[in-house]
Amino acid sequence: MSQGLLIIAGLFLPLFPLSMVFNEVFDRVRATKLRILLLFIWPQIGIGIAHSTGVDIPAWLVIWALLTALLYGFRALVLREVSLWVSFLATSAWAVLWVVMDGDITGTQLAFYALGFSAPLALLVLIGGELEKRFGAAYTGLYNGIAETLPRLSGVLVFVVLAVIATPVFPGFSAMISAVVNASYQSFFAALMLSLVWLVWGWAGARLLQGLIIGEPKGEGISDLSSGSTWSYVLMVSVLIICGVYMIGGLS
Amino acid sequence: MGQLIILLPALPILAALINQVFSRQLGAQAARLSVSTAIVTFVLAVVVLGNVLSSGGAPNQIALGGTWGILLADPLSSLMAVLISGISLIVRIYSVRYMVEERGYGRFFMLLDLMTASLLIMVAAGDLITLLVAWHLVGVLLYFLLGFDTRSATASRYAFWTLITYRIGDMAMVLAAALLFHAYGTWSLSDIFTQISENPGAHQYFGFALEEVVGMLLAVAAFARSAQFLLHTWLPYTMDGPSPVSALMHAGIVNAGGFLINRFAPVFIQTDTVLHILFAVGLATAIIGSVLMLTQNDIKKALGYSTMGQMGFMIMECGVGAFSLAIYHLIAHGLFKGTLFLSAGSVINEARQHDGVPKQDLYTFVVERRPAIMRQPWLVMAGITLAVPIVILILAHWMVAQDFFQKQGAIVLLFFGWVTGAQLLFTTYRMGSQNVWRLVGIVIISFAVIVLGYTLISHAFDLFLYPDSAFRSQIHAAAGIDVFWFDVLVVLTTAIIVSGWVLTYYSEQNRLWGQEQLNYLWLSFYALVSREFYLTDLYAWCARAMLKTAARMNELLRWR
Repeated sequence: MSQGLLIIAGLFLPLFPLSMVFNEVFDRVRATKLRILLLFIWPQIGIGIAHSTGVDIPAWLVIWALLTALLYGFRALVLREVSLWVSFLATSAWAVLWVVMDGDITGTQLAFYALGFSAPLALLVLIGGELEKRFGAAYTGLYNGIAETLPRLSGVLVFVVLAVIATPVFPGFSAMISAVVNASYQSFFAALMLSLVWLVWGWAGARLLQGLIIGEPKGEGISDLSSGSTWSYVLMVSVLIICGVYMIGGLS
Repeated sequence: MGQLIILLPALPILAALINQVFSRQLGAQAARLSVSTAIVTFVLAVVVLGNVLSSGGAPNQIALGGTWGILLADPLSSLMAVLISGISLIVRIYSVRYMVEERGYGRFFMLLDLMTASLLIMVAAGDLITLLVAWHLVGVLLYFLLGFDTRSATASRYAFWTLITYRIGDMAMVLAAALLFHAYGTWSLSDIFTQISENPGAHQYFGFALEEVVGMLLAVAAFARSAQFLLHTWLPYTMDGPSPVSALMHAGIVNAGGFLINRFAPVFIQTDTVLHILFAVGLATAIIGSVLMLTQNDIKKALGYSTMGQMGFMIMECGVGAFSLAIYHLIAHGLFKGTLFLSAGSVINEARQHDGVPKQDLYTFVVERRPAIMRQPWLVMAGITLAVPIVILILAHWMVAQDFFQKQGAIVLLFFGWVTGAQLLFTTYRMGSQNVWRLVGIVIISFAVIVLGYTLISHAFDLFLYPDSAFRSQIHAAAGIDVFWFDVLVVLTTAIIVSGWVLTYYSEQNRLWGQEQLNYLWLSFYALVSREFYLTDLYAWCARAMLKTAARMNELLRWR
């Protein structure tokens, strides 16, 4: 029974091929607000179900989760559509939560780690919306060089992508450290796989940034973020940083 | 003093924040703010170093956030802080005019400020979390500094190479930190080191001593950061970044490998094989880096490979147990390489206007490869070549430590010093000069001054960084190998090198057999070196293959 529930939880803390359900749903939901809601709620349902079983996470499930995380991180390398990129990175990041769950951690801490992964992705959905408004599509390689034409939007984009790929001192960083510590208890192989997942996130993030902000600017005359919007994003990124610093303190 | 060590990174962070928030109001004043902060930071770093010196090297630490955020004021961190803040100050002063016409002038200084702060936190970190945070951030900030010109796809591409190599090292470091935390239940470096020294070998990890596994992971982190062979390809290609960034990178960032090994010295002294691996990798990097440097026709790329060679030598020094010498080396290298990078632009500019070819013996000998026709008796010169350097080296070491013959590391370094000195004299013998004995005399005096300076200063560094003589002995013991095999290696290497010299001499004198075949081999080797051993091509091919595989997988799984 509990094993069955864990598999159901695998829909929400995605395990391949169950992960395809989330990616299908995320693609079909077009409204930005709904997508953000989905990003916040989906993993929390998984955490709730997994915790309700009250059983230890089996080692095979952790390896399955790590393979899923690696698969989606790796596949995200060649994605050019921002919303698909968000969806794949969410799948990869939430799969990592199985490794964190395997350790000595409370449900609240786990929920915070999930939020730490989801919040920057939700911000990226918003930024994708801003790009769509201006260019008709949030797609890398189409309109390079927005660092010059849209400096504010690019600045926010850089910080948000850094948060998504778990750069210090964003919340994802503490979640990843916690996961690596847990994985190293089990096996060096698991810890190594997790490190590879982190590495491909960095690669995927750099490719996304390069496809948008680098290059000769095109589409001049397009308006940048307003001052108010910029400050809102700055506030949200600052909150992420403060939460990240707070969560690092909880690593002991 | 605890407050001062907090101020060191806090000031540049504050300057970066002000620069970012008030970028529009500040305009070009951003540079002035950054330089002023850098001056204060440098002065503070000197004060901290003075305090550490006056307290006899006793470490002082302050914790900002309970289990993390611990900053250390000890000999290593204070020395490194002076180096980093000093080089960072020079780089910022240089950048005030150099970068003035670039877009994003304020952003550049903001990034420089953040980089300085991250480096200062990295060297002062007293716990694993703080070290990891700073270590990661240095890589990320370097990516943005190298790709500062957002119009340049090339700069961005090579900035990415740097980032991904650094990430490989970061991952090794994360694994090492996780294993240490797992075993000792604390993030604090001093607590971990105390437990290791009290009970070495207490923890096993899948059949290996924990210190061995952690030491190897830390070595990988150091290799990635210090561009050791196989993880070096990013370094010479990052020249599309602004020159001040190149200077800062070569003078203050790539050296981090040497710093890391020194910081974790209590772990490394408990290992059996890691220091030998450091020696082998460092040696290979030093030789390959120097060979690659000689084939470059671009001054900045040549400097890049020169840094690779120097970093190899630095890691090799750690491998023979000369930890403090590595720190002296990285400081000396930082200063001279920073100067070279900052003056590279002027040299290129000068060369564009005048050919600048000096009609001197040195130029005709080194560049035009025209050795002197008249030569001195080779037996006399060979005697001087072989005997003089070794006498100078032994006397210099005798002055600081009479038992240096007991340390294998000292013998290895003496050996390298001897080969270098002998090679220098050997070359001088073939160089044309009106008064060859005067030339030889000057070379010998220069060599003696360098050896004496190096020996005395490195000895002072040894006493400052590792005041405990028992600990120093432990480092040398960890780096040592079985005496019989050590002697065999020394004799074998000496025989190879001396035979090489003799062969070179006779082949030039008598046109020995197989000259054409040798020339062909030499050209093939040159072709291989000029393509950098095809390593960059191999890595690029692997990356493309991975991207193709990812794309195929996406198609197969219908993007879900």
